[in-house]
Amino acid sequence: MEGNKLYTLKRENLDQVLNIWNKKSSVYVPVGQGKDINLMPLGEAERTEDYINLTLPVKEMIFEQKENLFKWKRNEQEIEVDSLAHQHRKDRILYGVRACDTYGVAYTDRFFLQEFPDPNYQSRRSQTTIIAVNCLEAGQHCFCTSVGTGVFSTIGHDLAFTPMGSYFLVEAGTDKGQALVSEAGTFFNETDDNILKKKNALKEKTEESFPLKMDLTNLWEDMSKTFNAAFWTDEANACIGCTGCTNVCPTCTCFNVVEENSDLNQGQRVRYWDSCQSDHFTRNAEHHNPRDSVSRVRYRIYDKLKYIEERFGFKGCSGCGRCTDVCPTYISIIDIIASTQKAAKENPEPPAIHQTTAIRHEIKDRELKSLKGLYTPDIATITRVKQETPEIKRIFMKYDDPDLHKNYEYKGQFFQVTVFGEGEVPLSIPFGPDQTDELVFDFKNVGSVTNVLYQMKEGDKVGLRGPYGRAFPYDILKGRNLIFIGSGVAMAPLRTVIEPVVKHPNDFNQVIILASALRYEKLIYKDEMKEWEKNKNLTVKYALKDPSDEVDAHVGYVNDLLPELDLDWSNTTALVCASPRRIKKVARDLMDLGMKPSDILVTLETHMRCGAGKCGHCKVGSHYMCVDGPVFNYEEMMALPPEY
Amino acid sequence: MDDISGAELILVIGSNTTEQHPLASTRIFEALEKGAELYVVDPRRIRLTDFAHAYAAIEPGTNLPMINAMIHVIIKDNLVDRDFIKKRTENYEEMKKSVENCTPEWAESISKVPADTIRQFAHKYATTDKAMILFTMGVTQQTTGVKSIRALANLAMITGHVGRPSTGINPLRGQNNVQGAGDMAALPDFLPGYQRPEWQQTKDRFTKIWGDFSCLRGRNIIEMFNLMDEGIMKAAYIVGENPILSDPDQNHTIHCLEKIPFLVVQDIFLTETAEYADVVLPAASFLEREGTYTNTDRRVQMIHKVIEPVGDSKPDWEIMIEIMKRVGMDVKYQCPSDIMDEINEATEIYGGITHERIHDVGIQWPCPDKEHPGTPILHVGEFKRGKGLFTVNDFEFIGDQRTDEYPYLLTTGRVTHQYHTGTMTRKVWTLAREYPHGFVEIHPKDAENLGIKNHQPVKITSARGSIVAPALITDRINEKTLFVPFHFSESPANRLTGQNLDPIINIPALKVSAVRIEVE
Repeated sequence: MEGNKLYTLKRENLDQVLNIWNKKSSVYVPVGQGKDINLMPLGEAERTEDYINLTLPVKEMIFEQKENLFKWKRNEQEIEVDSLAHQHRKDRILYGVRACDTYGVAYTDRFFLQEFPDPNYQSRRSQTTIIAVNCLEAGQHCFCTSVGTGVFSTIGHDLAFTPMGSYFLVEAGTDKGQALVSEAGTFFNETDDNILKKKNALKEKTEESFPLKMDLTNLWEDMSKTFNAAFWTDEANACIGCTGCTNVCPTCTCFNVVEENSDLNQGQRVRYWDSCQSDHFTRNAEHHNPRDSVSRVRYRIYDKLKYIEERFGFKGCSGCGRCTDVCPTYISIIDIIASTQKAAKENPEPPAIHQTTAIRHEIKDRELKSLKGLYTPDIATITRVKQETPEIKRIFMKYDDPDLHKNYEYKGQFFQVTVFGEGEVPLSIPFGPDQTDELVFDFKNVGSVTNVLYQMKEGDKVGLRGPYGRAFPYDILKGRNLIFIGSGVAMAPLRTVIEPVVKHPNDFNQVIILASALRYEKLIYKDEMKEWEKNKNLTVKYALKDPSDEVDAHVGYVNDLLPELDLDWSNTTALVCASPRRIKKVARDLMDLGMKPSDILVTLETHMRCGAGKCGHCKVGSHYMCVDGPVFNYEEMMALPPEY
Repeated sequence: MDDISGAELILVIGSNTTEQHPLASTRIFEALEKGAELYVVDPRRIRLTDFAHAYAAIEPGTNLPMINAMIHVIIKDNLVDRDFIKKRTENYEEMKKSVENCTPEWAESISKVPADTIRQFAHKYATTDKAMILFTMGVTQQTTGVKSIRALANLAMITGHVGRPSTGINPLRGQNNVQGAGDMAALPDFLPGYQRPEWQQTKDRFTKIWGDFSCLRGRNIIEMFNLMDEGIMKAAYIVGENPILSDPDQNHTIHCLEKIPFLVVQDIFLTETAEYADVVLPAASFLEREGTYTNTDRRVQMIHKVIEPVGDSKPDWEIMIEIMKRVGMDVKYQCPSDIMDEINEATEIYGGITHERIHDVGIQWPCPDKEHPGTPILHVGEFKRGKGLFTVNDFEFIGDQRTDEYPYLLTTGRVTHQYHTGTMTRKVWTLAREYPHGFVEIHPKDAENLGIKNHQPVKITSARGSIVAPALITDRINEKTLFVPFHFSESPANRLTGQNLDPIINIPALKVSAVRIEVE
């Protein structure tokens, strides 16, 4: 907006102004006493000016605790799906928001509205106007001045009010705010820059009154020296996983997706706030949990103080102090900062590579083509099912809307597959870019969704969202030797490259597939591998735990097969899909043979829920596995904190 | 509650406070911040032990020898509060004689707690001015439950740790309103306000309110199920309780519920027990009704209706009133505060507690009249009975012990994110996800000996029955000891527990069962 106009408003006229605004919109004002302050519709209860802060950050009005994503209904054989983007009856004006929360909204705007824009947040946000009222007093755990987000609002508000005795200084931050001033124009008197001196004096005075002042200049450096410090264990022992801290945080954005069914034939998918402080936030269907109690507690602090800022350029902690206020076991981000600074000084550890690396590798140019919105799946019909192994099935399907096949753009690594009424799972794409008429997935029966999917048959309907994720980089592989290393169902993500390689064998030198499993019958693509091997430059080697009569197999690990491969290692790229532990073992052996870590491509299949970098479940350090990965090279993988 | 944060020593015995009473444990953390020490007695290395200054890894079911040995040490080392004993108590000599042989070495042989640790506990407790004991079911649900609590009372009295702020022996209640239910005589042998029906003054008082009435001593829940089994009890009306999961010896419980001719269950969800009912009465939840809860602090607090009852459900009091009307009673209550008016009249302890007074902040009983501010601490200056009575509590083994056939001791309990039989908490994804199913904790050495892997389903068998649950290997449990939470109907811990009862008040020894464990 043009210029930054300044106004004054007499205190005695405030209620009249709020009432004028309340005609066209719903005005929400602070109500309550002590620590129990909520935004309530004007007139429902007495407005208060005597409060330090709102109990919950204003975020709750835009990113609600529970939101509907879409509803579905089964009609004979068909399934109908409708998005449930939210519309308020009236636009909302939220009055009385503090600087820590307006800053929080500035961050959540950045988080939700870019890359894959979140349709729910978008619709609520566009209907919301935020009026900051600057603080003249600090609470017990306030430290916005230390992180630099306060004490007066600088961002995220449409209008900012500063109380100055008998009147407010009113500053418009956006056109929306300016429009509000015009709506009640007679009460606002334009004023000049001179008033800013007075405002600054007030600001300085307030800042001086803060009980907490911390110097955070070298915080990241201190953190890099204390990632494994002993105090983290004490904090972890204290945490009972009540998730209070994340529920009151202005910058917490994680959610979980839940099916709420009315009956067998209809229901809706909803999202609820979720918390990384819940023990099972990152646990997968096979009990693997990349975060233990220490890394769980540490992750929240790192996210707030480092990861969010690293990735989005916004402070992840706005210094509101609410998490410290609510913790029943007295875990305090303020004390943890002090412990970090103390340990960095007294007992520093050599910084780990993931604490110092500057490698950034996120992808930002993503937008989904679905017309129904980010979280609403498109319907597809299963065309056939193949039993690959005793516990793995291969399932073929087509979109019901043939145009979707025409628009299909090959640049992802996985789809989110919905079983209506049960849930959604990420499944890798085991087919090449040439295949645009049919989608295929291979999956193991491990969790509740895959269990139902496993029972499904030809003609059944599923939902699809995607493709998501960074795929294996096909073009840069041309002219090189390739080794594919996959175990069991982990061969599926590799097939997305194997398919085009087999179709264009002349583009590559030697191609080797190393297939491993406990037993031969547990391998997928048994027939295909025999077919692929007919290519002159393609060899398949097997590594099995139990010997087999079917093929000539090495009994033992794939690692044993590597030295005897007579390859020009400097011109070789390896594509590895396995558990992180196995990946590390294979990668070490490959590097011993002379491979560069950047030529080892891996996929990290963590606990993904939304696929679009929003729900937070798959975040490792400042990276989202679902949009920045799952494919990384080994150098990048080693630059992630070891929590995958 | 606030008293806890003022303590200088907190002795936690048989209570997983951080997980089961997180807000009480907040007060423990407050006390620790102020420099208090924490001593813990538990067969599991519960979270509190991470913060404890001393920890006794006790054998399940052996609290009593350890407490008696602590008393023995305190007397022998002359750390008793003579003045308190003389002025405030009686029967000291008899008690003293009874613990003469209870040496720490003797207690160690039973409880596996090293004699020196027992001495350390005794000395610290006796020599700290503000020393407070917190306990829960880990003390009560044993065959020596009553004796152990009496022994704790002895311990508190010989050291004068009663009737002052931040002292005393403090049971933490397991439910929001278990105190209130007891206050209102959901007990076999009292009328509301702990008034014995056989006292003349009780008869007079209630006759004035209710007219002529008869009142016989009731039965406790264990007795009632036995009466069902014997065919004597013909009908049961179960309100807000799910005995199939919460009572001992599930097979026996199911047998009784199948046998009884008429069963009514009143609950907010269709529980496992309700599956056996002839009539199910849908009750409204706490959000859908007015009334009061009385918490572990004896604090009577209002609950306010937030939404109207869902579907055909009704608040419990309305259901009761409908039934009273149908059996021809004259009903005079229009709303919960009418009932409170009658409670004011009928009991001394709730005499001055009205809905109006507690609208914002609750009041702690005893509160005999409408000007009375309530009573934060009991037994100040004088015990309720006059002088504090020392009791003799000799230890003897009753109930399950390890045998060749059942070489492990099973103890049961709860996890943070589930409540009781999971009727409510298992329906909430965010809680259910943390612990989606049951498990059995086993020490790594035992797991290795038996060839059990983490998460592997194992079968646990007692003389009463078997369950299957995934193994959770952890060194937070003693060797040869297992732990199973009782929330989960798929692996119900209480199919294994038995009817070993405390001989005095018949509380079942849910915390001690002999079992064996094998790979499924």
